[in-house]
Amino acid sequence: MRKIVLALVVLTVPALAQEVPKGDPATGRRVYLADGCYQCHGRVGQGGLMTGAAPILAQTKMPYAAFTRQLRNPINDMPPYPQNLLSDQQMADIYAFLQGVPGRRPVKDIPILNNNY
Amino acid sequence: MSEKKAIGRRGFLKGAGAVGAALGGTVGAGAPAAAQQTASSTTPAPDMARETLPPPPDPIQQTSSGGDFMVDVLKKLGIEYVTQTPANTFRGLHEAIINYGGNKSPELLSCTHEEIAVAMAHGYAKIEGKPLAVMVQSTVGLQHAAMALYNAYCDQAPIYMILGNSVDASKRLFSFEWDHAAIDPSVIVRDYIKWDDQPGSLQHFAESAIRAYRIAMTPPMGPVVLSLDSEMQENPIPAHPALSVPPLTRVAAPQGDSGAVAETANLLVKAENPVIIADRLARTQQGMDLLVELAETLQCPVIDSGGRGNFPTRHPLCHTGRSGAVLAQADVILGLEVSDFFGTTHLLSDRIERRTRSITKPGVKTVNITSNDLATRGNNQAFQRFQAVDLTIAADGEATLPSLIEQVKRGVDASRKTAFEARGKRLENSHHAMMEQWKSDATLGWDASPITLARLCAELYDQIQHDDWSLVGNGIRVSWPRRWWNFDKHYRWIGASGGAGVGYNAPASLGAALANRKYGRLSVTIQGDGDLMMAPGTLWTAAHHNIPILYVMHNNRAWHQELMYVQAMCNRHGRGVENAHIGTTIDSPNIDFAMMAKSMGVYAEGPIVSPKDLQPALKRALAVVRKGQPALVDVITDPR
Repeated sequence: MRKIVLALVVLTVPALAQEVPKGDPATGRRVYLADGCYQCHGRVGQGGLMTGAAPILAQTKMPYAAFTRQLRNPINDMPPYPQNLLSDQQMADIYAFLQGVPGRRPVKDIPILNNNY
Repeated sequence: MSEKKAIGRRGFLKGAGAVGAALGGTVGAGAPAAAQQTASSTTPAPDMARETLPPPPDPIQQTSSGGDFMVDVLKKLGIEYVTQTPANTFRGLHEAIINYGGNKSPELLSCTHEEIAVAMAHGYAKIEGKPLAVMVQSTVGLQHAAMALYNAYCDQAPIYMILGNSVDASKRLFSFEWDHAAIDPSVIVRDYIKWDDQPGSLQHFAESAIRAYRIAMTPPMGPVVLSLDSEMQENPIPAHPALSVPPLTRVAAPQGDSGAVAETANLLVKAENPVIIADRLARTQQGMDLLVELAETLQCPVIDSGGRGNFPTRHPLCHTGRSGAVLAQADVILGLEVSDFFGTTHLLSDRIERRTRSITKPGVKTVNITSNDLATRGNNQAFQRFQAVDLTIAADGEATLPSLIEQVKRGVDASRKTAFEARGKRLENSHHAMMEQWKSDATLGWDASPITLARLCAELYDQIQHDDWSLVGNGIRVSWPRRWWNFDKHYRWIGASGGAGVGYNAPASLGAALANRKYGRLSVTIQGDGDLMMAPGTLWTAAHHNIPILYVMHNNRAWHQELMYVQAMCNRHGRGVENAHIGTTIDSPNIDFAMMAKSMGVYAEGPIVSPKDLQPALKRALAVVRKGQPALVDVITDPR
């Protein structure tokens, strides 16, 4: 059983990776701002708050398929982004932008986060 | 009161008013004929007949006033301050406070809007544990004050409101005294106050004043209103009968039924994964201390919903940030003054069909110790969605904790103690991991502009952590302070507005800062731009009365929660978010909050756009606050 699961993982991960269409980060940033993603998730995808928590998106580990599913048919309170408002290519652009934004820094590099907590 | 005195000053004014009345052909019975002729003449001329009349048999001075007696009563109640926007219907009491009472305990505080006056009282009460008094005009003033009263009612905060009202219609000055009078002035707010009265005599006032205070201070606390006739305030104290003020005796808060408390203790001790949720629980430091004792006895997680400063945020049993995880595992949930039990244990999707989903396990046992049901009204729906809690103990949470702790300790044997210790160790590890995760999350966008809220809160805490600080407001539910800051005292946090009425944060923060002043605490507040624009005059009151507080603007140039809601509507309707800013943003032009604050005498800096400028600005502003003055730093932030 364990071997079967492992095989599925090995087969699936490259498959998912191949499914990510090429996106343009600069266009993605523009769309991310114009379509209001940042209003809840922050300008650099640092996460925020609407009625509940708006998840962190910077360098998201969410698979692309799950990412697009959340945009088209979101769970919880997120507004939907149907095809007429956000094209498939624009989704890929946003995904590329989010993969490219600066992620977490080592906490030790920021003294006040270490001094106080 | 003698008939002669009852006519008094009003009678004189009535005579003067007859001149105007004569134009309409109606003259007071005692008006001389010459006066009528002069008044009806088209050419203004000296009214010689009137000028040479002997003085009317009408006293023009007095040596005491009903207001003096009212001040004596307020002093007996220990009222330290009276917030107010001046108004004719309480001028008698106003004058008595500043002269007869020496403007000390109570001291009159000037506010530019009645909403500010009430919200200041709201914030003050949550720090001081008792009310100050608010004076407002019966009709126009009360309508201004109404929203802030509603917040206080929802938040179970004691507000001691005094209305000025001109009861006797035959004594009212023309025009505005009629506009400012009502036969039942409190009716417009009666849905969201606990009690009101309109005393018919000074003795009646004394008794109702004591009664009102007791009612306001009995949990669940709330606003009370006394409507005071302006004549009663202004005219001499009657010689008879002699007045007396009843003593202000103690009221014990309602405690839970002993059998129900024992049953709850038994459930908690036997549970494998008990969870405590505390909301408007801790009225005092003792409330926090008792909750810590209960949690440590059980070694169970606590979720602090934030209605008050209930539980130390750095305590290893504080799992507010893991509420979903701990509630999903819970087999017993104890609520302590939880205002929204359903909302705490369910998810609700803000979509076309508002579906709910429980986040707890089937069969979980639930208990809520709360005074909420003891003063619920039918019209306003602030009591939240119904939750069929297995056992509701209708009592004050803080007052019931000692007996609950005693019962729990009695039920813990050696085997349970061993199990509790193991549970506590697991929880401590989870708490530590949660804190480390938050620190890492805070680094995202650390150098971004507009400034992230994580950076804003980290920089602010870095500057105040060695002071005896008090976060007296956080208007937009910024989550970072309660993730990191060490809220180890009850007064570090006072809860939110209660009724979600915008315009609370700025003045309520100031009221809390007023209460903190005498203890030498450093008051800071995170201030939304939309909220401050509801009551900008708050800043003038801060400067005028030398109330030290730091306003740190979370300036996202929008009513941002509403912007997000409108954006959600845009996309639900398939129209895109392009126009979502219309009616939801506060820009074009941008408001210069620093300039606004400076114009009212408040030290201010900003707008701060770059994160590197934040720390120096905060340092300079805090230096001003530590010297006893208010300050404001306008920070342009990311929206959320």
